[in-house]
Amino acid sequence: MTVWLDIDGKQRRVELPAEAAAGGVLNCLVDGKPITVDARFPERGVLSLLVEGRQYRAVLDGDAVVIAGQRYEFSIEDPRSLRGGRGAGDGAAGPRTVKAPMPGRVVRVLASVGDEVAEHQGVVVIEAMKMQNELKSPKAGRVVKIAVAVDDTVGSGDALVVIE
Amino acid sequence: MKKVLVANRGEIALRVIRACREMGLATVAVYSDVDRAALHVSHADEAYRLGPGPATESYLRGDLILDVARRSGADAIHPGYGFLSENADFAESCATAGIMFIGPPASAMRALGSKTKARQAADRAQMPRVPGSVTGLPSVEEAMRVAGEIGYPVMLKAAAGGGGKGMRAVASPADLPAAFTAASSEAERSFGSGEVYLEKLIVEPRHIEIQVMADTHGNCIYLGERECSVQRRHQKVIEEAPSAVVGDDLRRRMGEAAVRLALSCGYVNAGTVEFLVSRDRATDEQSFYFLEMNTRLQVEHPVTEMITGIDLVRMQLRVAMGEPLGIRQQEIQLRGHAVECRIYAEDPGNNFFPSPGLITRLVQPGGPGIREDCGVYAGWTVPLEYDPMLSKLVAYAETREQAIDKMLRALDEYVVGGIKTNISFFRRILSDPDFRAANIHTGYLERLLAGEDTTPVKELSEDVVALAAALLSGSIKTRSTDAIAATESRWAAAGRREGVGA
Repeated sequence: MTVWLDIDGKQRRVELPAEAAAGGVLNCLVDGKPITVDARFPERGVLSLLVEGRQYRAVLDGDAVVIAGQRYEFSIEDPRSLRGGRGAGDGAAGPRTVKAPMPGRVVRVLASVGDEVAEHQGVVVIEAMKMQNELKSPKAGRVVKIAVAVDDTVGSGDALVVIE
Repeated sequence: MKKVLVANRGEIALRVIRACREMGLATVAVYSDVDRAALHVSHADEAYRLGPGPATESYLRGDLILDVARRSGADAIHPGYGFLSENADFAESCATAGIMFIGPPASAMRALGSKTKARQAADRAQMPRVPGSVTGLPSVEEAMRVAGEIGYPVMLKAAAGGGGKGMRAVASPADLPAAFTAASSEAERSFGSGEVYLEKLIVEPRHIEIQVMADTHGNCIYLGERECSVQRRHQKVIEEAPSAVVGDDLRRRMGEAAVRLALSCGYVNAGTVEFLVSRDRATDEQSFYFLEMNTRLQVEHPVTEMITGIDLVRMQLRVAMGEPLGIRQQEIQLRGHAVECRIYAEDPGNNFFPSPGLITRLVQPGGPGIREDCGVYAGWTVPLEYDPMLSKLVAYAETREQAIDKMLRALDEYVVGGIKTNISFFRRILSDPDFRAANIHTGYLERLLAGEDTTPVKELSEDVVALAAALLSGSIKTRSTDAIAATESRWAAAGRREGVGA
């Protein structure tokens, strides 16, 4: 099994033997370099990894692995995928949407349609868990759409404001 | 007293339930619709629904809680902290209904509840307080006059305030009118009272508080101090006991002043007197100023329990039963050092945004000297209706330095999956040379956050990270959709999960 990973913007290729999921002593290849490891899974999502006598306890958390208190975010890349470059639509050009980063209630709308806003200028304030949070414009531009009003309840990922 | 209703949720409800069980008292939990599966419910002998998720329809409904107390035959109510814990009307309703409120009498809460009234009480008890007004300011003109008298910079504060709401620092007369309006309207919105008063701004003070405990027989003792200077937006983040800068003499003077105040108001049960402590640069003399009194058990009570060896909740229950304290001031001995970190569901990498949601994994630290008061579990969905505190992690050791190192070790073991937490933020604070040197004040954290993150990162081979990531993803049977979700933003992925899983 070959796994292509993106860790901190670096592409890595890890080749694992077929029985890797069961754990044990495994001959692996990391970017073509052979490394023998002893891998055990004490519980689902937890790995004890022995490499040349050094022991690492790694815990999987969604799209990250936590080792010795440090979080390393990674993504599984599929080279056969036809997806374009990562982050398409995240560039400075074109419309950008301010989305709710968490569920909450809209307490203030700080801009109107047609307003020119600067990058990092606050556009909407939402409240969750007794905290008010100002959401900022990701780019300088003109507000073309406001999808919410004060007192609206929004879900995580809901589009709030579109800046062009 | 045979049965206690715990009118709270989360870790503090569990803390109280545990103390009750240890004393052979039956326990009654209450819950809102989003808390049916909460940890505190599954530890209680009985549990009753209050209402929908929002606190105003559940945990703040004193009438519903009293109704549950009657139905279940509970003869006492422990309010925990927050919610109804400092509500004098609720304490009075309990007394009227013949149910013991585990806390001070309503009269003592009223005498100390508003900050302006508390300042008047402090004057009567002859304790030093920050110079400024002792009554609410009726107008901007009056505010200008008082500020001119005590000298700038000054601090505007809401009389009914707490948690930093309705507070404004004012550097010069020109800024006062706008700050007055803003503080007053924020106070009106948050507390239903726009009353504000003025204090002289103490530059770079420490926030140090004294734990007191009084019984119904006229005995009152102090149980040392807690240093709570590490705050963000006026919310405590790390607390420790004892304070690195409080010596025996200062502790005795602050403690005796706190006891004087409590006794002067007819105080009963656990309470905390908060002070600002500053050191005069020229004379090197330490001064302390009364800030306010919290008429309840504090979030950070465990650090006091660690260094005194006293179970404060047990003592609260015994005092409520009418027993005397059973310990004299001279028998209180402080030993060792304790540090507490408040673990919050918030993202320090993204402006501390709250991060409610499903906890997919919980690996909790252990070992000697580690105590965790936790209100969550793996599989629990942290609701967005309440305070984002998940857990309090406490480290206890012989010295401050050892306690800090123990906490760093425990944080390395701690993994909360599925939601963001401030665990990495604590690592940054506890590694900071100024914190380690106890060179802290209430503005310390803001200054640390304004600077660069210099937390030492342990070097780890990139190959090991790649291998661990590949092995762990391979060991979990990933569906193709999960692989795609992993490349999306966490928020989008969480949104999809919620949409699909609902």
